[in-house]
Amino acid sequence: MPRTASVTVGTQLPPLKKTINQRQIDCYSGVRPKSIHTDVEWAKQKGFRAPLVQALMCTAYVSQMMMTWLGEGFVRGGKISASFIKPVIVGDTLTAHAAVTAVDDVDGRPRVTVECWCENQDGEKTLVGSASGFADRLRT
Amino acid sequence: MIEFKEINYDVVTVGEEFMSDDFLIKPEDVETFAFAVEDHDPWYFDKNAQTPFNGNITHPVLLGNQALLMRHGKYIVPAGLHAKMQYEFLEPLRIGMRVRTRGKVIDKYEKRGRHYMVTEFMTRDEETGTALVRGQFTQMLFPKSGVHEHAKNR
Repeated sequence: MPRTASVTVGTQLPPLKKTINQRQIDCYSGVRPKSIHTDVEWAKQKGFRAPLVQALMCTAYVSQMMMTWLGEGFVRGGKISASFIKPVIVGDTLTAHAAVTAVDDVDGRPRVTVECWCENQDGEKTLVGSASGFADRLRT
Repeated sequence: MIEFKEINYDVVTVGEEFMSDDFLIKPEDVETFAFAVEDHDPWYFDKNAQTPFNGNITHPVLLGNQALLMRHGKYIVPAGLHAKMQYEFLEPLRIGMRVRTRGKVIDKYEKRGRHYMVTEFMTRDEETGTALVRGQFTQMLFPKSGVHEHAKNR
């Protein structure tokens, strides 16, 4: 099994839990009329029961997990690839998860890849994807 | 003078280019972003933090919306759903940088009756030309009638 000093395939990162409120959405997306993120009536007109969390916001949770773990190895050379598979609504509680799927030697440096996903309070996945970075100087 | 059109599958062309406005990364932008995503990493805020970058940096994903909103410099975008996002982080972002994102539509396609466009992007430090972040994103274009039925499921 591939291994670096402290990274092994199968290792799970500590999950992150976030309950997202409207003020946070407003700050992330910017308040404007005719926005499915910040205009309740417009969101309803477009078919949603409440404003949607901007999907991109959830990549920030993946980034936070990777930054906390890899630090410099994510800032320079980090990657995220995410698919947004279910809408997230204001008030939802998301939990972001990540588990190591590969440790590869890239020019003498260990690139670690994780499978990552976010689940809502009902256990439904809203984001699935992967992230990677260099694990030669772990922060945690 | 830009003549803004409402975005739809027919008006978007593969190869067309987008460019954001230039943007000065300010302390309040980082604070606002941190509040929104609940991420106050000391590398971003603690002046005494020992970072490998000779000082504080900011969230690597801070400028994601600058890329996504490039379309708004050309089109009226009533609504859309973000389907996929890819990032590659090249150099740290810092407060005080003046940055700009440029992009190009690299594909558009129809899948199960839904329309998508794919845009690649690169964000650079406008003053030094340093490449900071690159990637691509896929967005679903809503029909004029509103959101597709499958997306209303909550």
